[in-house]
Amino acid sequence: MNEWFFYWLLPCLYAFLACAGFCFIFNVHGPGILLCSLGGALGWLIYLLAEFLSPNIMLRFLLAATAITVYSEIMARVRHCPVTSYLIIALLPLVPGSGIYDAMRFCVAGDTQQFLSALLRTFGIAGCLAVGALLGSSLMRVVFSLSRRTNK
Amino acid sequence: MDYNVLLNLGAELGCQLMESGAEIYRVEDSITRLMRAYGAENAQVFAIPNTLIVSVTPPDGHPITRLCRIPAHGIDLDHMELCNDLCRALCRETPTLEQAHDRLRQLLARRPRFSTAAILAGHGLVGAFFTPFFGGSLRDALFGGLCGLSIGLTTRFLNKLPGNNVFFRTLLSSALAAILALLFVRFGLAQHADAITIGSLMLLVPGVALTTAMREIVAGDIVSGMTHVTESILTATTIALGTGAALLAGQLL
Repeated sequence: MNEWFFYWLLPCLYAFLACAGFCFIFNVHGPGILLCSLGGALGWLIYLLAEFLSPNIMLRFLLAATAITVYSEIMARVRHCPVTSYLIIALLPLVPGSGIYDAMRFCVAGDTQQFLSALLRTFGIAGCLAVGALLGSSLMRVVFSLSRRTNK
Repeated sequence: MDYNVLLNLGAELGCQLMESGAEIYRVEDSITRLMRAYGAENAQVFAIPNTLIVSVTPPDGHPITRLCRIPAHGIDLDHMELCNDLCRALCRETPTLEQAHDRLRQLLARRPRFSTAAILAGHGLVGAFFTPFFGGSLRDALFGGLCGLSIGLTTRFLNKLPGNNVFFRTLLSSALAAILALLFVRFGLAQHADAITIGSLMLLVPGVALTTAMREIVAGDIVSGMTHVTESILTATTIALGTGAALLAGQLL
């Protein structure tokens, strides 16, 4: 119970509330706030769940970014608004802010090896987010065009 | 139909879309559709992050073009949705050009915006909840919120200065937040300086530029995509420099 709460639920709740904060900054009103924040929480949940699949951080970020993109594309189709409105905010918890900070901390401490590895990890994560978003939107484009064809 | 009025309508709606932070392909696609819906089959729209060019050739064969320069802008997702909705509605219903202009003017007149206090509270909220997200305690969350608030205040204050730019703002506000976090820990108020710094830095991290960049590259707008990639790398470097300066100062404390 305890581990379940602290390891799974709480981080997702934090991600949810932080995304809600971003909604004020990027001027999102109404039900959009709830949907954007849910996207952020969902992304982090997928990231945590992906640990069962593989311990590789890059793969987990990739899966989470794909899931968020698919979620945003579906929400955009359902509510007839641009995909970006959901995607921008929901992806933010995954952006490697800690990587930038770690790299700088090692750099200041003069630890070149650690600095380079933190830097490469940051770039790797950013790349994974890019590829994940690409994968998700290409996937949804295929799915939607297929479903349109079968509906005709 | 007056092609000059149509051109103005397309260019103004396009400017609004660009200024609210829409991607390039959305702007180009929406405005092209709008022009086609009004019968300008040969309309050409070209956009890069700072510029929007709309051109049509009326039946008399004398081409007309309008170029808009887009100033540096933030992100306004609500405005983007409304402009997008308006563009779709205009394509579907094609009201007269006067009515279309009226609807655009109405849209601009009532732009719902959050108050300054709400936006600052948003900064505080982000800082407060990203701090425990990156491993801080609940007590750290309170001070993370304060650091987030300081970033919001610094950015707003620097925004008013003439000649400021996004990198200068990012540099100063990240350095200030990191120094505050170190001071809070120094005086025993908070426990984890790392978590507080990272949590409040998430406000400055170039997530939006990165997301936009990859969506644009996928859509084939390489020029705009590269511009945003450069922007995000520069922003990340500036954050690193700001925190680096603060960390160095912290070693001297």
